Amino acid sequence: MATSPLKPLLKNKSEGAALLQQWTLVNQSAVCITNSDGEVLFGDEALITNNGIAIDLHHQTVGFVHAGEHGLFLSNLLSALLQKETDRKKLGTEVLHLYQELNVIYNFSEKLAATIDSSLIAAYTLEQAMHAIPCESGVLIRWNETTKTLEIPANIGISLFNHHRLQSNLSLLYQLGYSGHSAIVENVEDLKQNGILKEDVKAIMYAALKGKHRIFGAVILATRTQEFYTAGHLKLLVTLALQSSAALESALLFEKNMQEAKERELSMLHIHNATRKFVPEEFLRSLGKDSITEVQLGDQVEKIVTVLFTDIRDFTTLSESMTPAENFEFVSAFNKQLGPIIRHHKGFINQYLGDSIMALFPRHPFDALRAAVIMQQAISKMNEQRGVKGLLPIVAGIGMHTGPLIMGITGDEKRLDAATISDTVNTAARIESLTKNYKAPILLSESTYDHLPEDDQFFFRYLGRVSLKGKNNKIGIWQCLNESMGIHLTSWVQVRTDFEEGIKAIEKGEPQKASVPFQKVLSSMPDDRTSAHLLDLCLEQIHQQPRQSVANEENASFPSPSGSGN
Amino acid sequence: MSKKILIVDDETHIRMLIEQTLEELEDEGVTFLTAENGEVALDIIQKEQPQLVFLDVMMPKLNGMEVCRRVKKELGMEEVYIILLTAKGQEADKQRGLDMGADVYMTKPFDPEAMLSKAREVLDLPE
Repeated sequence: MATSPLKPLLKNKSEGAALLQQWTLVNQSAVCITNSDGEVLFGDEALITNNGIAIDLHHQTVGFVHAGEHGLFLSNLLSALLQKETDRKKLGTEVLHLYQELNVIYNFSEKLAATIDSSLIAAYTLEQAMHAIPCESGVLIRWNETTKTLEIPANIGISLFNHHRLQSNLSLLYQLGYSGHSAIVENVEDLKQNGILKEDVKAIMYAALKGKHRIFGAVILATRTQEFYTAGHLKLLVTLALQSSAALESALLFEKNMQEAKERELSMLHIHNATRKFVPEEFLRSLGKDSITEVQLGDQVEKIVTVLFTDIRDFTTLSESMTPAENFEFVSAFNKQLGPIIRHHKGFINQYLGDSIMALFPRHPFDALRAAVIMQQAISKMNEQRGVKGLLPIVAGIGMHTGPLIMGITGDEKRLDAATISDTVNTAARIESLTKNYKAPILLSESTYDHLPEDDQFFFRYLGRVSLKGKNNKIGIWQCLNESMGIHLTSWVQVRTDFEEGIKAIEKGEPQKASVPFQKVLSSMPDDRTSAHLLDLCLEQIHQQPRQSVANEENASFPSPSGSGN
Repeated sequence: MSKKILIVDDETHIRMLIEQTLEELEDEGVTFLTAENGEVALDIIQKEQPQLVFLDVMMPKLNGMEVCRRVKKELGMEEVYIILLTAKGQEADKQRGLDMGADVYMTKPFDPEAMLSKAREVLDLPE
């Protein structure tokens, strides 16, 4: 002990000093108390003799009483007081120590409660262990059941463990970390010989990490300054390991669940990616949905869109020369060419209907027009290749109309379908079928035409108002002259007035008058098949009794729109 | 003038623990005083004028907050350094304690090392 235990007992104003003071007064007797080395702690130095009575504490002389005949009594009294005081202090130290442990455990719980990250928990465990237990090195090992390997999620302090040896010596570690025991290692030399521990390690202990039904690892502490670990140290480590186990177990479970949730989400994404090939994403987005799984019967939205129909002319004739498989292949190849053009122009394919396509352009009618022209160009290119192979050219008509459209989910609880319900669709389909009669590759309704911006890349001509099947009101139609066979723009500019005069006459119901300008047009542009058709109609009417207007006659001769799906 | 620390808590074992924690300061001439309630504490503070007071909040008769308020605000003993002690989980009191003039706030269970080093700092005793 650095300072004499007697000193605080007898210091100025202390209880011991006061008692002795009282005693000397009562007994009218002087006393001197010295340290074991002769320092006076109380009383008069003059009283010191060679026969001082020893004051003992735990069989050790800690001082002397010089008080003549009362010496023995005072020495016994002081010994007893000293004993009591020492016991009190020892108890106090022990209680404080326990309190410190309590504080460590308390802080640890608080930290654990604040995290759900298993590697953080592992690090905290070692941090707290190092704070509470003398050690210079700690590792937390975990047995990974999935990979069947030993993992070291955390290590702390200086390296007293050879980590690569930890991995390589599984059987030994199995004993240490997977036994489910907690112990102070009796023979450190074994571990040193196996190369797991560094040479200067003096003591090592470990506590198991246990879940509800399994052991999943251990916390191991090593020291090179502490000669040995005590049961108290181990008890504290076990307490920490126990807390850590519970937190680790829930963290690992949480991580596993998160992983599974991620995998589920990923597989949902795959399904989503697959379904959107069937139901266009734009369709879902228009309904305000992110995924097909969110769609419910009755979801719907109304929008102004341009509906575009394409159809292969005389496909029946074309397909008669092919086997069903060839047929399928032909249609697939055709759609494969046109699909990307539609998407590139911000449109989406609502439906493939055999040889015909129904596409929606929600943004602007101009998108639809440009897509139509490029599609016709693509078809021309296809025809070049077909010509080389000696195959018949494909002729396709494209018709479009702009108007309100309801997109929604119809069907019943068991079978849902994405559907577009609108008169706009019917009108667009009928305009497409007009391309056949008019021999026009691209036809637009007036509502589409009216929405187009000024653009000198595209040329149009007005074909008059026609009544469509099932419609009361007539609708104006326009032909896009780009990609129209047999029309050269230089010639067109010269005959434009004549053509327009012819259309006016037809609209007035004067076929006789109309036939003259059309003949003029044809003499300049003999390959203009649309004008040829119009002239034919006029002549037909002139020969018959003119009881109906041309436009109405037109109506009567229209076939019902094919493949509109409505 | 000798340095004095007053420890105020109604629980005997807490008083003893704090005393034990600070025990080594005794060798450096620090005297410990104890009180088991607010009334006694207020009395001792006026008489002995300790430099440092560890003051529990939850006590019978006069609670720590009130003792603190009277010492700092009514008696104007600004120089007395008061460390309020309260159970963990009642940190909501913290601001109130500081408003009452407490210098520092510590939670129980306290960290003995932190407590000792704080006492050394306040009493200007080197580590």
